[in-house]
Amino acid sequence: MSDAAVVPRRFGVRSRTPAVHNLTLNRVLVGLLGLVTLVALGARLLAPDDPIQPVGDFNLPPGSPGHLLGTDMIGRDLLSRTLWGIQASWLSALAVVLVGLLFGGLIGLVAGAAGGWVDNVLMRLTDLFLALPGVLVAIAIVAALGPGLVHTLLGISIVWWPYYARIIRGEVRALAARPHVEAARLAGASRLRILRRHLLPGTVPTAIVTASLDIGNVVLLLAGLSFIGLGQLAPAPELGADTARALTQLLAQWWVPVVPGIAVMLLSLVANLGGDALRGLLDGRR
Amino acid sequence: MIASVDDLHVSLRGNPVLRGVSLSVRPGEILGLVGESGSGKSVLALTLMGLLPPDAHPQVTGTVEVAGVDMMHGSAAAHRGVRRRELGVIFQDPMTSLNPTMRIGRQITEVTRDTDRAVQLLEHVGVADAAVRLRVYPHELSGGLRQRVMTAIAVAGRPSLIIADEPTTALDVTVQAQVLSLLRDLRDEYGCSVLFITHDLAVAAQITDRIGVLYAGRLAELGPTRELLAHPTHPYTAGLLRSRLSLTTPRGRELPTLPAEAGPRGPGCAYHTRCPLAVDRCATEQPPLVGDEHQRACWRDISDMPDGTSAAEPGELGPAVEGSAVVRLHNIRCDFKLRNGWRRAGTLKALDGVDLEVAPGEAVSIVGESGSGKSTLLRVIAGLIPPTGGTREVTGGTQMVFQDAGSSLTPWLTIGELLRERLLPLKLSRAEQDQRVRDALTKIGLPATVATARPRQLSGGQRQRVALARATIVPPAVLLCDEPTSALDASLAASVLNLIRQLRADLGMAVVFVTHDLAVARLMGDRIVVMTGGHIAETGPADDLVSHPQADYTKTLLAAVPEIAI
Repeated sequence: MSDAAVVPRRFGVRSRTPAVHNLTLNRVLVGLLGLVTLVALGARLLAPDDPIQPVGDFNLPPGSPGHLLGTDMIGRDLLSRTLWGIQASWLSALAVVLVGLLFGGLIGLVAGAAGGWVDNVLMRLTDLFLALPGVLVAIAIVAALGPGLVHTLLGISIVWWPYYARIIRGEVRALAARPHVEAARLAGASRLRILRRHLLPGTVPTAIVTASLDIGNVVLLLAGLSFIGLGQLAPAPELGADTARALTQLLAQWWVPVVPGIAVMLLSLVANLGGDALRGLLDGRR
Repeated sequence: MIASVDDLHVSLRGNPVLRGVSLSVRPGEILGLVGESGSGKSVLALTLMGLLPPDAHPQVTGTVEVAGVDMMHGSAAAHRGVRRRELGVIFQDPMTSLNPTMRIGRQITEVTRDTDRAVQLLEHVGVADAAVRLRVYPHELSGGLRQRVMTAIAVAGRPSLIIADEPTTALDVTVQAQVLSLLRDLRDEYGCSVLFITHDLAVAAQITDRIGVLYAGRLAELGPTRELLAHPTHPYTAGLLRSRLSLTTPRGRELPTLPAEAGPRGPGCAYHTRCPLAVDRCATEQPPLVGDEHQRACWRDISDMPDGTSAAEPGELGPAVEGSAVVRLHNIRCDFKLRNGWRRAGTLKALDGVDLEVAPGEAVSIVGESGSGKSTLLRVIAGLIPPTGGTREVTGGTQMVFQDAGSSLTPWLTIGELLRERLLPLKLSRAEQDQRVRDALTKIGLPATVATARPRQLSGGQRQRVALARATIVPPAVLLCDEPTSALDASLAASVLNLIRQLRADLGMAVVFVTHDLAVARLMGDRIVVMTGGHIAETGPADDLVSHPQADYTKTLLAAVPEIAI
């Protein structure tokens, strides 16, 4: 039969977006994750002015010459402050997620692979931390150690890793039930080797997707804690804290609180879309 | 005609799956559709139902008609009407096609809208205590009962055509026989037609009036069942019949196989690379399906076909080596605790006092239906499950080959890495390791370049070969095989079985071969052990056990094995 004889025709149900478009879109969205990280790392180079020193008139509106996003109540450049704020928020979120992934992942891997009482002990410990109210623990730690971004991050990290422990453990339990692990045991592989070669690589896709989706959550939580005064200390830029301090100006000079607020929203959006796209790409490869 | 397709071409994701199929189902007949995996038989069923998955971007040409309605064009509502009024469907796995959250009764009354009729139907398909069963959920039923319920739903709407896609493949052989006779009874009673899809010629032979043999998306041959089986006119059908393993296949010889497909498919007959009769014309020109009642698509005359078995050299089965047993099990018991939520619901005696000895180099087959404890026994020998009671002595190493080679190979490791893992304790140099891996791959008939491939890049048969290479790269004293060929097409299965016999002869290892198929058990074992309900029903030399079964259970099992009687 010749190819021309086949009339392309959608059969039955409405057609959906062709898979190839999704692929391109997904790649772009995952690229955005990297782009934001680059922006966060390069804040020093990208920011036109010092974020802490006043450099112009008070409360200049966006679009003013030399100050693309305007200035705040004491004349600091909002673009520079926001870029540095993105650095603080994004890198903090990455740090929290990374600590959660490493620590929680390790606990989950050991619990899932060992099973039995080791699994029980580790998972009940995880449940214990899961039961702690995150915001309160962060407040308590800041109250004990004094305010500061690092202390807030410590507080969040303590309540963040259990999610990863649960997810990775579940994944490992599922993998461990597959015949390939039994086969590796029969092939004479040691416990450590099975853990390292036959279980760990299988959890990587799930771990990466969960983590990238999670960055948005941490950005929001961090901004929220900073908003109520539990984050970055006063002159240093931080998106949540900047929004909170300028809130009284919302009706008079709306851009001063809104610009950092929108930055928080965009970061969280990029993290979520990027995470979803990453899942799409990794699922497609399986 | 109840249903007919004419010059049907279907492509999924751009790959041609059906390449010009013309076929019609006559009123009241059971039409068998036989083919290997990937031959397009299930896609044909989906096309008839108008349910091709839109995700796969199907491209369809030709005509498809069911009860006079065009299933390619027209509204979704019209297609739905045809499915509701004219079609009944039975799938392979009733666990996934029944709704697990709905009671059986509701699923039947969805069609009948009448409880009394639902009870009648269930009684009709042979479900005892039908009124009580209406209130149970699918998971509370056995596989055979579930398939009966599925059948009841399929006939509930008084369809003119039942499409049964491998309805007995997941069932034990004794249950399979029951479901087959049920289908035939229902056909007689309701006067509906049945399109019966299967990969097994012998199963088709049991039930069908006509058989269509599908190869690579085209009909190779179509004709009345008896005539087609007695006088196949297409080399593929003849090859399938010849390579089929039956209770009478000679044991001492190498098992007849079909050669594997080689190279890309050209414009000609898709079978020509495997065909012993192929001439130049076969590669360039597609043979049409011609004939009246018995149709065939082949340029050659089948009577020229060489006898496939004459080329096979006698395989060495080899007697067991004298000496003390490599496996010695005494009164092995194995209990599994069943839990129902927090409560202990009871214990399942998977193994209940099993004695087994395997001599060095001996080949033992263990036969049983699902739940007989045969796989548990194998895992106890392998040391994967500690027995609850009894003594287990195993001298020398054991290795195991699993049913599903795909999931027994770690998906992200390369074949080379998987094979080298077995060599780690030997502390060889890298060059020596690579040499051993190459040798092992050559021995199982795969090119050495496979070492850099990952499991999903290989076909099912190749994966099972790799699994065998891993098990034997360091020869074990006992090779344990857990249904290694039950997921493979018949022609591939025979070549894997040959390979296992060959490896056994070369390496002098004992083989314990677990299977549900008595024919395979007879061919693979010098001795057969029949298991049921966690204990051994009967054990004896392979041919004696098949020709003179002693235990009642063995007799039942033998009677249920589908054979092609010509």
